[in-house]
Amino acid sequence: MAVIDKTAVGRDRTAAATTGAVAVTATLVLLIAALAAVDITQGTADVGASQVWNALTGNAEAGDASVVIASRLPRMVAAVLVGVALGMAGAALQAVSRNVLAAPDTLAVNAGSYLALGVLAVTGTSLPLLASSGAAFVGGLAAAAVVLGLSGLGKGTVRLVLAGTALALGLNAVTDALLLLFPQQTEGLYRWNQGSVGQNGFDGVVQMAPVVAVGLVGLLLVARRVDALALGDDAAQGLGVSVRGTRVTTVVLATLLSAAAVTLAGPIGFVGLCAPALVRPLTRRFRGLVRSRVGMPVAGLVGAALVLLSDVALRAIVPADTAVEVPTGVVTTVVGGVFLVVMALRTRDTASADAPDRLRIPGRRAFVVTVVALAAVLVGVLLAAVLLGDSKLLLGDVVNWAQGRAGRVVTFVLDTRVPRVTAALLAGGALALSGTLVQAVTRNPLAEPGILGVSGGAGLGAVLLVTTAQAPGSWEIAGAAFGGAAVTATLVFGLAARGGFRQNRLVLLGFGVSSAAAALISLVIVLSDPFDTTKALTWLSGSTYGRTMPDVVPVAVVLAVGVVVAVTRRRELDLVALDEDTPRLLGLGLPRARLGFLVTSVLLAATAVSAAGTIAFVGLVAPHAARALVGRRHVRVVPVALLLGGLLVCLADLAGRTVIAPAQLGAGLMTAVIGAPYFVYLLVRTRR
Amino acid sequence: MRRHLLATATVAVAALSLAACGTTEPSSDDAAASKKPAGKITLTDAKGTKVTLDGPATKVVATEWNVVEDLVALGVAPVGVADVKGYTAWNTAAPLTGDPKDIGTRGEPSIDTVAALAPDLVVATTDLAPAVVKQLRKVAPVLELTAADGADQIGSMTESVDLIAKATGKETEAEALKKDFEASLADGKKALEDAGLGGAEIASADGYEASNQVSIRAYTGTSLLGAVNEKLGLKNAWKVKGDASYGLATTDVEGLTGLGDVQFTYVANDADGDTFTGPLAKNAVWKSLPFVKDGNVHRLPDGVWMFGGPRSMEAYIDSLVDALTK
Repeated sequence: MAVIDKTAVGRDRTAAATTGAVAVTATLVLLIAALAAVDITQGTADVGASQVWNALTGNAEAGDASVVIASRLPRMVAAVLVGVALGMAGAALQAVSRNVLAAPDTLAVNAGSYLALGVLAVTGTSLPLLASSGAAFVGGLAAAAVVLGLSGLGKGTVRLVLAGTALALGLNAVTDALLLLFPQQTEGLYRWNQGSVGQNGFDGVVQMAPVVAVGLVGLLLVARRVDALALGDDAAQGLGVSVRGTRVTTVVLATLLSAAAVTLAGPIGFVGLCAPALVRPLTRRFRGLVRSRVGMPVAGLVGAALVLLSDVALRAIVPADTAVEVPTGVVTTVVGGVFLVVMALRTRDTASADAPDRLRIPGRRAFVVTVVALAAVLVGVLLAAVLLGDSKLLLGDVVNWAQGRAGRVVTFVLDTRVPRVTAALLAGGALALSGTLVQAVTRNPLAEPGILGVSGGAGLGAVLLVTTAQAPGSWEIAGAAFGGAAVTATLVFGLAARGGFRQNRLVLLGFGVSSAAAALISLVIVLSDPFDTTKALTWLSGSTYGRTMPDVVPVAVVLAVGVVVAVTRRRELDLVALDEDTPRLLGLGLPRARLGFLVTSVLLAATAVSAAGTIAFVGLVAPHAARALVGRRHVRVVPVALLLGGLLVCLADLAGRTVIAPAQLGAGLMTAVIGAPYFVYLLVRTRR
Repeated sequence: MRRHLLATATVAVAALSLAACGTTEPSSDDAAASKKPAGKITLTDAKGTKVTLDGPATKVVATEWNVVEDLVALGVAPVGVADVKGYTAWNTAAPLTGDPKDIGTRGEPSIDTVAALAPDLVVATTDLAPAVVKQLRKVAPVLELTAADGADQIGSMTESVDLIAKATGKETEAEALKKDFEASLADGKKALEDAGLGGAEIASADGYEASNQVSIRAYTGTSLLGAVNEKLGLKNAWKVKGDASYGLATTDVEGLTGLGDVQFTYVANDADGDTFTGPLAKNAVWKSLPFVKDGNVHRLPDGVWMFGGPRSMEAYIDSLVDALTK
C-alpha cells in the first residue's frame, strides 16, 4: 500500500515538475521572441519595424529585404546561438565541477582561444572559419584543462576562479604583447576580443550551427550521468557511471560550445556564468529544472535572452553608427560584473579566513642576508635599467650626468630614462606595500589591489580624465586615479566587511568589480578614440612611457607616508594579520586599524597606477615571496616586499623597453607574464 | 642553497657593474662649444608655441607619416622616422630618402632613440601626447603641426608644408610642391568634367573584418579625401558625421544602404586582404546596393596614404581619375 502511495505521489510530483518546467520554458521563449523582434528592427540602415514586416511577409523592396536577410536576421540568430551555447556550457561546467563559478570565462577558455587565434594571425595563416574555430577550440581546451587540473574538481570554488583568472590574465598579456608587436597582422583582433554579435551574412551562423548542435545534443546525452555525479563520486561510481569519463566528456563538449561561440562573435563575457545562476533560484520553485536534461537547455535559453537583451539595450541607448563601434561583449561583461558582486553577497561563505600557512621562521641573520642581497641585486638592475635602452651608456656617462656635465646626447637620454626607471621602482614598491597591507587586513594571501578591482578603478578614473580633459597635470591624474580607486575600494571592502571579510566573498567581489572596470576602460577608449588600439593597451597594460619626474612625485610622497605608517604600526599589522580574536583581547580597535591600513593601501595603489598604469600581480607576488623568505613579522616583511616589488617592476620595465626597441612593451604585460605562473604555483602549493 | 644563489647574484651584479665603467661620449667640458651663429629662424607652430632655430634644420626627426612625407617631398632626408616599415608599405608617393633610423611606433616614439640622434628639429603632430612633446622639447626644438583638421583639411595640410619649409629653408621647394598640387587638382577636375562626372556623388571608404563582422570606415566630407573630392567637383555622399579631426566615421554594411547611386571608392592592401571583394562579395546587402549593381565600385591602388601630404594627394587624384574615367 505504502509503496503504491509513494509512486502516486511521485507521479504527481513529476507531473507538477514538468508543468513548472514547461511554464518556465514557454516564458523564456516568449521573452526571446519579443527581444528578437525588437533586435531585427535596430541597425544603421533605415529599415524599421514596418520595413521588416514587409520584408518578412515578402513584399518589400529588394534593398530592405536584403538588409533583413543578410544583416539583421544573422545578427539576431547569432545572438541566440551564442547565448544558448554559452548558457549551456556554463551550466554543464558548473554541474560537473560542482562549482557555481565555473564558466567559459573563469576557466580561461576564452583567453586560450584568443591566444590561439592571435598566434594564427601573427603567423599569417589565414584559415577558413571552421579551421580557426578548431584552433580556438584547442586553445580553449588546453586552458580549461590546466585550470581544472590545478583547482581540483569540486574543491574550493574560489580556487577555480583564481586559477582561471590568473591564467586568463597571463594568456591575455601574451596575446596583447602579440597585438603590440604585430599591429598590422593582428588588425581587428583587439576589437574581436571585445566580442560583438554583428554578422556578415548567414555564412558564419550556418557553419557554426552544426557545431553548436553537436555540443548541445552531446550534453543532453550525458545529462543523466552528470546528474549522477551530483550525488558524489562514490555514489555515482556505485550506479555504474564512469566519473572521470563523464567529467572529461562534459568539459570537452562545453569547451566545444564556448569555442563555437567565440569563433562566431568573439568572447561575450560572463553569459556562461550568469545564465545558470539565474536558473538556480527558479529550481527551488520548479523542481523539474533540477535535472540537467531540463536545466541545461533552460540555462541556454536564459543565456540567449541575456545576449539579446544586451544587444537590444546597446542599440537602443547608443546611436546606430556608434553602436557599430561598441562591442556587445563589453555590455555583457559590465552586467556580469555587477551580477557577480550580487552573487558574492548572496553565497554562504563557509571558508572563513584560513589559518596562516605554516612557514619556517628564519633567523635574524637570514633576514639581513636577504635584504643585503636583494638590495645589491636591485642596485644592479637599476644600473642596468639606466644604462640599457636604445642607446647603450656606460657608468662614466651617468657620473657626468649626475654632476651636470654630461654631453648633449647623454643628458637627453638620461633625462628621459631616469624618470622611467624611477616610476617603475616607486610603482613597484607602492604596489608591493599596498598588497602587503591588504593581505594583512583581509588575512587573505590572494588579495591584491589588481584582483580586488582597486587598480581597475584607478585606471578607469585616470582614463576618464585623460580622455575628457586637455593635458591634465600629474597631480590631477593621480587625483582622478585615487577617486576611481576609492569608489571601487569602498564598494569591494564595504560589501566584504559585512560578515568580517570572508575570504571567498572578498575575492569574488573584487573579481566582478575588476572585470567590469576593465570592460568600462575599453568602452571609454572605444567611444572616445575608436582608432587608437595602442592607447587602450597602454592604459590597460601599464607602461612608464613618457613619464617625467613631476609624474612620479605623487607616488613618491604616498610611498614615503605608507612606509612610515607600516613601520610605526608594524605591531598592529602583525596582530590584525593573526586572527579575529587576539587583537580584540589586547584591546586593539580592530575596525579603525583596518580602515587606516586599507585607506593607505588604496592610496598606494592609486598613485602607482597614475605613475605606471595598471600593473598586475606585483601586489600579490611581492608580499608572498617576502613572507616565504623572511617569515611573517611585518617589520621584516615590509622592507623585503618593497625591494621585491621594485625589482620586479624595474625588470619588467627594462625588458619592455629593450626587447623590441625602439618599439615598447608595457611593464604590466611583463609582470603578468612573470606573475601569472607564480600565482598558479602558489595555488598548487596551497592545494592541501 | 638560497644563500648560494643570493651570493652568486651579488657577485654577478658587482662584476657587471665593473664592466659598465667608462663613457660613451666625452663630458661637456671636453666638447668645446663651437656653434656658428647662422641666420636665426623663428616660427609659431600649430599649437601657438614659438620655436626658434639657429638656422635651417638639416637633422630632422619626424613622428608621424604625413610630416615625414612633407619632409621627403621638400627634399629633406629625415634622420629618424616612426615605423619605417609601415611608412614604406603605406606611403609610396614619397619614398624615404637616405637611411633614416626607426624611432619606434607613431604613438610611442622612443625618446631614447630620438635623443641619441641629436636632431636639430623634431617634427611632431598634435596627436602625440603632450607629456611626450614636453620631453622632446628638451632634446631639440619641436614643431607641433596639426594632425588633421575637420574644418579645413587642405588648409592645414599646406600650412604644415609651409612651416616645415620655413624650418628647413626649403621655401622655394614648398612653392613648387603647392603649385604641383594645385595643377593636379585642376587637371583632375577637368578630366572628370570631360568624362561627364562633374558633380557626381562619391563615397570613399576602407573596411576590415573581424569575427564575421565587417566594419566600414567612412571618409566623410570633412576628411582629407573628402575635401580633395570636393575640390575635384565631386559631392560627398556620406550622411554619417565624421570625427572632429580626421573626419572618419564607422558604419557597417547596412549603413551603405543610405548612399544611393554613387561612385564608391575604397582603399585596401593585399596584406590584410580586400574586404570588399572578399567577405562582402557574397553579402546580399552589398549585392543589392545600386552602385555595386552598376559596377561603380573602384579599388584604389595600394600605397596611397589617405592622411598624407600633397604628394600622396596627387597620387590619390591620379588614381581616382583613372578609376572613374576608365
